[in-house]
Amino acid sequence: MAENKKALLIDITKCIGCHSCEVACKAAHELPGDPEPNLSETAFTTVQEHAGKNIRRLCMHCEEPACASACLVGALKKTSYGPVAYDKTKCIGCRYCMIACPNSVPKYEWSKLVPYVKKCDMCVNRVVQGQPTACAEACPTGATMFGGRDQLLREARRRLDNDSSYVQHIYGEREFGGTSVFFISDVPFENLGFTVAPAEEPLPQLTQAALGEVPTVVLVGGSLLAGLYWITQRRREVALAEAAEKASRKEERN
Amino acid sequence: MPDDKKPLITPWRVILAIIFAAGLYATYLRFAVGWSAATNMSDAQPWGIWVGLATLCGVGLSAGGFATAAAVYLLGMERYRPICRTAIIIAFLGYGSVCVGYAYELGLPWRFWHPVVYWNRHSVLFEVCWCIIMYTTVLAIEFSPALVEKLPWKSLREWYLHWHHRIVIAFVLAGVLLSSLHQSFLGGLFIITKGKEYPLWYSTHLTTLFYLSAIPAGLAMIVIALYLSVRSLNVKIDPEILRELSAVLVPLLAIFAIFRGVDLAHEGGLGYLFRWRSETGYFWLEMALFVFIPIVLLNLERIRNSPVALYWTSAIVVMGFIANRINVSITGLERATHAGYTPKWSELAITVMLMTCAVLAFRYAVLYLDILPRSLAEKRAKWLANAGVVANA
Repeated sequence: MAENKKALLIDITKCIGCHSCEVACKAAHELPGDPEPNLSETAFTTVQEHAGKNIRRLCMHCEEPACASACLVGALKKTSYGPVAYDKTKCIGCRYCMIACPNSVPKYEWSKLVPYVKKCDMCVNRVVQGQPTACAEACPTGATMFGGRDQLLREARRRLDNDSSYVQHIYGEREFGGTSVFFISDVPFENLGFTVAPAEEPLPQLTQAALGEVPTVVLVGGSLLAGLYWITQRRREVALAEAAEKASRKEERN
Repeated sequence: MPDDKKPLITPWRVILAIIFAAGLYATYLRFAVGWSAATNMSDAQPWGIWVGLATLCGVGLSAGGFATAAAVYLLGMERYRPICRTAIIIAFLGYGSVCVGYAYELGLPWRFWHPVVYWNRHSVLFEVCWCIIMYTTVLAIEFSPALVEKLPWKSLREWYLHWHHRIVIAFVLAGVLLSSLHQSFLGGLFIITKGKEYPLWYSTHLTTLFYLSAIPAGLAMIVIALYLSVRSLNVKIDPEILRELSAVLVPLLAIFAIFRGVDLAHEGGLGYLFRWRSETGYFWLEMALFVFIPIVLLNLERIRNSPVALYWTSAIVVMGFIANRINVSITGLERATHAGYTPKWSELAITVMLMTCAVLAFRYAVLYLDILPRSLAEKRAKWLANAGVVANA
């Protein structure tokens, strides 16, 4: 199982900014146009320059994805192979995934009348068949590596141990509760435009805590309200009985 | 209606015509030309005012429905029975316009039934969606007698009202629970935006904050509707009811303000209260409109005794509420996403058209159904059931 779970390791020190990954990605997903400066509905990955370094942007394929937990129809799902995949036949176009993603990765086809969500799918169709992602296959320097998640983490660790010029941090090992895309770099990640992970725990856990209160609210609230209603009814009965008694006493006196 | 002598073209009708012309043209843009022609939404701001204003405020301002139903049916506050139908129809029309609004808001609106078939119970939006579907049904059931009692068939009428009277309490109870859940979870939608949402609005207790703010806003909405109905729709209500509703606002707003303050301290937002940033301005605008100004005004004897002043104070509360929802859903996310979003005219035109439909429906309901009394009751019912019931017995 563990070796079934694939990942990408991106070594920023090795990237030469040739944009081969972008071209290969567009070809594999039949996306039009030349490489683009930012992620878009037609660019699932891009290479940006920060502090003199070439930085790839793409979906991080979180272990516990915020987008998948947000999607009310379950169109986005973490597959056992690693990719966070999108089932366009389920999507209703609410765009909550775009709000939920801490990296704002999912993009929308605003120009279309039948729009879908677009994002890197880690070439899920190729990965399932045992092939590497298009970007990793196209990378001429090995800056983007495809492999088993555990194996790539070991490899990243080995490089950090052997070369002290690396920042001693694997971005993606713990960020967002762990991802399937890892970055290693010789420049601190906060200088390279990386999102500082907002929490140690995966974001969906924050939501689960709130959703977990639903049964309590229903049970406690329901009993409380029913109890109040019972008291109200009882008071009404008592008031009516007293009034009736008063009336009959009045009649007796007369 | 004695309006034989009214001219055909009045200023209000001209305004209505403009609203509908603009709204229908915007509808054409949205469905025939595309998103980019009809909206300023973008990858950075995928929700805009159709969620921030139409959904969050449409549902929030309908909260008076469940609060009043609970007060009358569950707590026996017979005093408010005359306004109960008003509260329920406002809620029904509010939810109705939200549901219609989703035809515009969803990218693939013809798949509106998908959440019924495809479930993701880990999604806050799934919870919200189901609650809103069920609560809109509950509201329709709560409201149905107003329509059924106008039917010409006596036996059907009596049969329906007899059974309705017996089971309505179950629906009221379910309605209170469903409302409490989804009013909270509309705020819960933004719990997952940790790191994106600006610290003045982010909280893991957004659920409680949304709940606590929706109730006073919903009551303020009822005050507005009652005042306007008395002024122009030929109905009579005890003016004391407006005064009492407004009096309830003060503690409700104060509770919200205290919770908000404690929560800001707890979540570490206090350091952002006085930074020289646009968010700070929006925050204080929201707090001024929703909390400070109304609380001060409602403590003035002169304001409390004047229905028109109460009407304007309630309008300020509603504006403050709208400011809060737009801040959470738009302002607070702008800095992280670099969106720079302002709504396009057509986004507003569609929202305004849907709200106008709701207002018109309310008007005709009050005119042609028995929503509000047309004459004052001889005896004033007291706070709790006793006196009212005895008087009726």
